[in-house]
Amino acid sequence: MVGDPFTRDDGNGMKLTDSASAGTSGRAPSVLHVDAEKCTGCRNCEIACSLANRSECNPVRARVYVVRNQKDGHISTVPVVCRQCRDALCMKMCPAKALRRDTTTAAVIVDADRCLGCRTCVEVCPFGAPAVDYRTGKADKCDLCNGDPTCVKFCSQGALSFVSAEDESFQRKRAMVSGYVEYLAGDAAVGI
Amino acid sequence: MSQLYGGKILWIDLSSGAVITKDTSGYARNYIGGRGINARIMYENVGPQTDALGPQNIIAFGTGPLSGTLFPGCSRTDVMCKSPVTNLIANANVGGDWAAELKYAGFDHVVLTGRAEHPVYLSVRNDIVELKDARHLWGGTTWDTQRTIKAELSDPEVKVLCIGPAGENMSTFATVHSNVGNSASRTGVGAVLGSKNVKALAVRGTGGVAVADPDAFFEACVAAHDTIKGADYYEELATLGVVQAEYAYVLSGIEAGSDAHDGVRDLDPQGTTDYPAFWKEYGHKRTGCMGCPVHCMENYDVPGHGSAVMSCELYTQLTWEVRNFDMHLLYDLVKQCMLMGIDNTSTATMIQFVMQLYDLGIIDESLTDGIRMEWGSKEAIHGALNAMVLRNTEFGDVLAQGMKATAEYFDSRVPSERRGGTSTYEHAMQVNNNPMYGINPRMNAMALGYAIGRRSDCITDLDTNQFDTITAPIYPGWTEEHRLAEVEYNYQTARDLTGLQNAGDPESLEGKAQIVHDMGIHTGLSDMAGTCKWHTKWLFLDLRPEHYAKALTAGLGREVSEDDLLRASLRMRHVERALECKMGRRRENDTIPAKEFGKPVSRGLWKGKLGVTREQLEGMKDEYYTLRGWDLETGVPTAATLHEFGLDDIASDLAERGILPGWTGEDFGR
Repeated sequence: MVGDPFTRDDGNGMKLTDSASAGTSGRAPSVLHVDAEKCTGCRNCEIACSLANRSECNPVRARVYVVRNQKDGHISTVPVVCRQCRDALCMKMCPAKALRRDTTTAAVIVDADRCLGCRTCVEVCPFGAPAVDYRTGKADKCDLCNGDPTCVKFCSQGALSFVSAEDESFQRKRAMVSGYVEYLAGDAAVGI
Repeated sequence: MSQLYGGKILWIDLSSGAVITKDTSGYARNYIGGRGINARIMYENVGPQTDALGPQNIIAFGTGPLSGTLFPGCSRTDVMCKSPVTNLIANANVGGDWAAELKYAGFDHVVLTGRAEHPVYLSVRNDIVELKDARHLWGGTTWDTQRTIKAELSDPEVKVLCIGPAGENMSTFATVHSNVGNSASRTGVGAVLGSKNVKALAVRGTGGVAVADPDAFFEACVAAHDTIKGADYYEELATLGVVQAEYAYVLSGIEAGSDAHDGVRDLDPQGTTDYPAFWKEYGHKRTGCMGCPVHCMENYDVPGHGSAVMSCELYTQLTWEVRNFDMHLLYDLVKQCMLMGIDNTSTATMIQFVMQLYDLGIIDESLTDGIRMEWGSKEAIHGALNAMVLRNTEFGDVLAQGMKATAEYFDSRVPSERRGGTSTYEHAMQVNNNPMYGINPRMNAMALGYAIGRRSDCITDLDTNQFDTITAPIYPGWTEEHRLAEVEYNYQTARDLTGLQNAGDPESLEGKAQIVHDMGIHTGLSDMAGTCKWHTKWLFLDLRPEHYAKALTAGLGREVSEDDLLRASLRMRHVERALECKMGRRRENDTIPAKEFGKPVSRGLWKGKLGVTREQLEGMKDEYYTLRGWDLETGVPTAATLHEFGLDDIASDLAERGILPGWTGEDFGR
């Protein structure tokens, strides 16, 4: 496995998602979960991210971006965040091995000293999550704020949440089914 | 880039194409930004001789030091010019994300003077400033214009302010529009932009806003966000918006109130104007402006009618004011207003005016291009709206020039006896020719707000506590206990501010002037900072001067006190007032339509109550002028007041014009 960027840092990447490595909660590391339906397009996530991590208010330097589309009168707003992929292409393809996985948060983080600013990570990421910062010339991406993402705190509607990877899909399932339950229960659907 | 500011004012002479920049710093300390700096620029550049729709008028788009930052509601652009509606100040405020983008491009304000030879649009990408041909965009709707510009600049992240056909045709109620439903609507700013042959202002900035102390600034913004989210009203506002509140206003009888509605006995004859039900049926999402935790816009997809947004007063204007009880028709009209770039409020009140005259038999369809202006008629409302936008008929052309022009047109064609010996203008719901909101002027503080309002309307000088006291007893979805507590809260708020026992009583005159005075200062503060006034006590979201002071202190790296800000807000208002007085406004212009005096609310919960007489209004004005330091006789800021706020140059200018009260001939050192 030598040369595989995923396993090269600590040689035990899989353990990151073992409950044993997730501290006392008994849960896997949390992930940044997006529920675009709840997004109001306020972009506080962007501004908060840039202020917390870049000491200025500048969406261009934020690690989260709300893509806004407007078709006639219809507005859609979708936050784009780093998915911290299990098989992260950015990490795999980085020729300088400047990206590694944080053992606590499971975030893929940038070692700026190693980074060449070659933009490979930008090109291979399917989500456009990493960027080469125009001021520093180095790759920059979401590091989950060391396990306490600022963007989530500023999302007033819960479009961004920070939940355990184990729980993520169950929350989604419950949200999806709630309308169904109401429908099935008919008039009895009080208090759902 | 300087701390919190872009640092530059972009100043463009459209006639010559000359582009210069000025430093913001010369204005920033005294006027903070946004509406404050705009007011100062206006004073220096327009006057009584300026033709509002001529090349000598200037139009300024101003952001504030907190625009584009983490401070809540950081989205606001203040637009100011001389008004083609009132011939006084035009001032409107628009959200969205344009203000932030302009700041990121390194500019605080854009000022346009002159007139372009042919339609152009302004394109700013950081320091690259261009005037581009917009002949191919002329005639396009506001939404199409944004899409086309983004496509041809190959940048979907560009933010666009633009006018629609109404602005191009210089219909005096034209707006400057952005995104879907973000609109600088009142007093004709879109018409002025159209008169300059400017279709749009497209901006992209990547520079960000610097802050002196990022940690302290972050803390200050967290505190502000937490204050908003902790406010009692937040939860409801963030989930239901103002749909329910608007419904309560109608039930109370204080919305869309005027003579024109006296005939509507039944609140809802067909049971169709149930706004909460419409929202539940067709609403699919809430969106908001940049930086806002409140997201006040209701997004709708209505089968067969497409997508759009609604918020606030939109629900009550093209419904109650014109006796339209069809929510689908309302929706179509709101959408049409957005696409054409025309002010919903003015449109509704203009059509109400014409329908009223038609109903009274004063005019007939020979004067309305054959349109039968019957109450609630779909054909009539659509017909009048389109005529106002396109100005392609005599009737439409007259409507587009405003209430006074319309009244003069009717007066010249209708024999005096059919008009009851008076001008048809007597029927117009206007203040200085500005069509009024649906909000009833028969409430004491509201009458004062309308009368002294900065752009001849009440919105920044609204006594929202009084509003709420009137509405709370009938508020849908609340328990009786909650309603009573809300009324008591409002009474206590008014008591705390004024020290007067009955200041919270809508039927009392006590303390009203002080409440309106105080509200004007607070809303002015957010207008200067480049943030949304909804977040202040104006809408019970509780942002106080201390929040602004803390954020500005941390962001600028120098002490900014609450007192500095409150003084700056008052200073701004004195400059605006001095400018309006320079352009001819006097005490007698601070009034409401004569026909509204002494009449109680005509329907709803408050039927038969409230109502303000001329003497009562004059009494409140006396109190208000005294608090402001404006001359009781003329309403002009006194020499002493101007001096106290460091405005000797303006005092000197007013003295030269012979309109400065209390001037004893001293030299102001000019």
